Amino acid sequence: MLLEREGLLESLGERLQDAKEGKGSLVLVAGEAGAGKTSLVRAFADSLDEAVLVIQGACDPLSTPRPLSPLHDFAADPDSGLTGLTSQERPAIEMFGDVLDRLKNTIRPIVMVIEDIHWADEGTLDFLRFIGRRIEDSKAAVVCTYRDDEVGPDHSLRPVLGQLIPLGSTQRVVVPPLSLAAVSKLADDHAFDPRDLLRLTDGNAFFVTEIIATGEGLPDSVQSAVLARVARLDAKARRIVDAVSVAPRALEMAHAVTIADGGLDDIDAALSAGILLADGHRLRFRHELSRSAVEGALPPARRLGLHRTMLSILEEEGSGDLALQAHHAIHADEADLSIKYAPAAARDASSRGAHKEAARFFEAALDHSDRIPDDETAAMRVELANELGTIDRRPEALDQIDRAVEHYRSAGDELSLARTLIPDTGARWRFEDAARFRRGISEALGILERDEPSGDLARAYVTSAYQHMLARQGMAASVELAKARAAAAEAGTTDLTWMITMLEGTVALVLGDTDTGSRILQDVSHEAAAKGHRDDETLALMMLGSGSGEVRRYDGAIPALEKGVEHGLAVDQDYLVAYCRAWLARIALEQGRWDDAVNYVELVDRATAYRKGIAILTGVSALGRVRVRRGDPGGISLLDEMVELSRSHELQHGWNAICGRAEYHWLAGNPEAGSDELALAYQRALDTDSEWARGEIGFWMWRSGTIETPPDGAAEPFALQMAGDWKGAADSWSEIGCPYETALALADGPEKAKLEALAIFDSLGASPMGDQLRKELRDLGVGGVPRGPTKETLANPGGLTNRQLEVLRLIVDGLDNTQIAKELYVSKKTVEHHVSAIYSKLGVGSRTKAVNAARAVGAVEK
Amino acid sequence: MWVGIISHTFEVAGDTGRKRRDEVPRYIVEREFPKGLEIPTTPEGQKAMLGVVENNLTEQVTWVQSFVTDDHTKTFCVYDGPSPEAIRRAAGLSDLPVNRISEISILDPYFYVGAGA
Repeated sequence: MLLEREGLLESLGERLQDAKEGKGSLVLVAGEAGAGKTSLVRAFADSLDEAVLVIQGACDPLSTPRPLSPLHDFAADPDSGLTGLTSQERPAIEMFGDVLDRLKNTIRPIVMVIEDIHWADEGTLDFLRFIGRRIEDSKAAVVCTYRDDEVGPDHSLRPVLGQLIPLGSTQRVVVPPLSLAAVSKLADDHAFDPRDLLRLTDGNAFFVTEIIATGEGLPDSVQSAVLARVARLDAKARRIVDAVSVAPRALEMAHAVTIADGGLDDIDAALSAGILLADGHRLRFRHELSRSAVEGALPPARRLGLHRTMLSILEEEGSGDLALQAHHAIHADEADLSIKYAPAAARDASSRGAHKEAARFFEAALDHSDRIPDDETAAMRVELANELGTIDRRPEALDQIDRAVEHYRSAGDELSLARTLIPDTGARWRFEDAARFRRGISEALGILERDEPSGDLARAYVTSAYQHMLARQGMAASVELAKARAAAAEAGTTDLTWMITMLEGTVALVLGDTDTGSRILQDVSHEAAAKGHRDDETLALMMLGSGSGEVRRYDGAIPALEKGVEHGLAVDQDYLVAYCRAWLARIALEQGRWDDAVNYVELVDRATAYRKGIAILTGVSALGRVRVRRGDPGGISLLDEMVELSRSHELQHGWNAICGRAEYHWLAGNPEAGSDELALAYQRALDTDSEWARGEIGFWMWRSGTIETPPDGAAEPFALQMAGDWKGAADSWSEIGCPYETALALADGPEKAKLEALAIFDSLGASPMGDQLRKELRDLGVGGVPRGPTKETLANPGGLTNRQLEVLRLIVDGLDNTQIAKELYVSKKTVEHHVSAIYSKLGVGSRTKAVNAARAVGAVEK
Repeated sequence: MWVGIISHTFEVAGDTGRKRRDEVPRYIVEREFPKGLEIPTTPEGQKAMLGVVENNLTEQVTWVQSFVTDDHTKTFCVYDGPSPEAIRRAAGLSDLPVNRISEISILDPYFYVGAGA
């Protein structure tokens, strides 16, 4: 009996109706444990007839969950139409695509239930994001339940909720606690005072029904209520119940029969007592709370014994469920079996992107390292290190590397030692400490150079070159790349060619040979795309976009970055999207398109960007600089934060924030502030080949009076200005396309140049520089200085504001609201607001009438 | 600091680098009207004012109060909003000039009473 859930059932019914009409949705059913989410969803599913297809899946409460558990559930259901879904090893995104296709190409509307997503592993989280973003054009209602009280700020589900809840196709409903009226109704034929019951249970539906079922006065906790019920069973039935409690979600009926040793009556006893439910061919508790209550009360020896029993059953059966076997092996304290299953489960989890889970499995295996041969232990430590590095547990990861290295050294296994010291270029966490990296790579090269050139030697040179590139030491990188090519050729290794070429292109780009660099990077990007190597294609695009942006070659950068965004959106590569948008923001700042810069930064999804820091640094620094240049509040605090964050990154990611800060202090008339930080950055810049780093940082050192002579190898426009050639600098900036910098150069010139600069600053809205120049000109006794940017409210046709006119013109061009939102970089909601204001002012009620009215009032050409 | 941002991704639109993220910042916006600002006390005038309020809502910006100089050439407007950019966008929607934005907090003569005791 379901009480007080009519409204929720109605909502679900409405979503199903929408699905029938081809408008899919994601419903997030939130509530505390025991609130009755599952009961609600089950009741809804049960109320549906054959005309609706129901597909069910759930996430495991395992401490190391089976990756993509719900997808396995879908595949196991013969009616789902997804039976081959998980049978082959393939990229997760392909599986997600198959599920989406199923939800779109269906005759019957589909209700897809996914329970307990607060236990979702990383792969399942990716799946939820994928489906949630694309569900609109399907005939399905995807209903997910989760314990909202367990999803705190650090919970992995949180960012996913953050991305999905704002979508128009997502609905979130909350299952509330029961009211006094409902509790009274439930307690009707029983000797409980509803008010006492409500007070004890807080209206938690599960707790209420448990107590009533126990019928023995008020217990003091959920656990005692459950255990009181279980205590009434005889020993054999109790054994079944205990066995089910150690299975993560449910126990296969066949296994229960084995454990019952022929005593099928015992299973029935547990079922009739209402403690267990038969769910298809599985046995489970009515609620996870009961399961954990029973499991928690198990004496340690019995628990161990049960896990061992489960393990031997699974072994005999030849079960392929690695995570399950590892789970039991670990809890059974079976060292040998943990060693047998956990690493395999770890690699499986890793391949599906579940790195937290993979790390836990490796750690569980290594708990028994005394029983594993040292060589295997060392190799596993390296695997664990890679998982830990991926989930940002860097100190622990490095420690594992150190321990592996120590072993190989004392064992005299030089080849393994060298290989361990050469990180994968994808493992950025191993490049963060440049000094540590250099020590390692030197040692590795020392070993490998002694022998004939090998694939390992070539790889060592490539990795070394990569680090030099990260450190913007182009010349050193070139040298290593040449050695890499030679070694690879001699060793007959071809799998490094792409990477070597890509790095050669990147080095050319940032060293200043932008045409060659761009061409090479475009070629390797196409090559990777043609071979279906998505990660490589992404990497090349990112290098092309940001590399060109760093040297202010906007014509090359912008198309590459826009392509990156488009591509990232299509394949759910959230980080690529965030990174490219952050760079587009920085370029917009430099090109004087400050509103665009702000819009791009606001589009950068923080939760994603924070994971690797660089996108945040690039984007937020740009925002900070916009504020500083406009004279708006909140600029310097952002830049200070970014400078702080940049300490653990290479120079190129922090120099924008450092220069922005120097600019702020200079504008405030306080150039000495922050000079220590600037000087440090300057030293680092001199250690690189980067013209632009030396140029911009050097410029602010010069501007603040800290240095008098400009550094060698500074980028042209900066070098010219520092040498006193303000006109040359202005022309150079103008060609590159940076209006603010152009004006800064002109401002160093005489009166006429200053007036020109002022006009530019006014048009950009750069108040601090505008005010400063006005004062300078007044002091020079110049008359007739323009007052400042004025905003005359034009008599717009139809009484529309400028923005509304913009929107109206796009409507006349035939764009729909989504396209208009994209064009103007605002949200769809904002556009809808504008549209309704436009209709109201023009006195119309439809788009066609608006278009006609637009022509009539002269807002557009006829 | 950025850890806080993760949990507020879908709650706060802007960044101000504020110390307390649950507070909405307050700003004073200075606007200059060289020809003098005239808002007639007619239904049209009222419509214009309400239009401004409505436009502000789309940017989560709230107009608290404004102060006008005698000659109507300058106003000082107190606003609550998530960021200076939201203030500027809201102003753009209503075609209002923005000459300067300052972030403020309140200080009044009685602020320090009892602090020294």
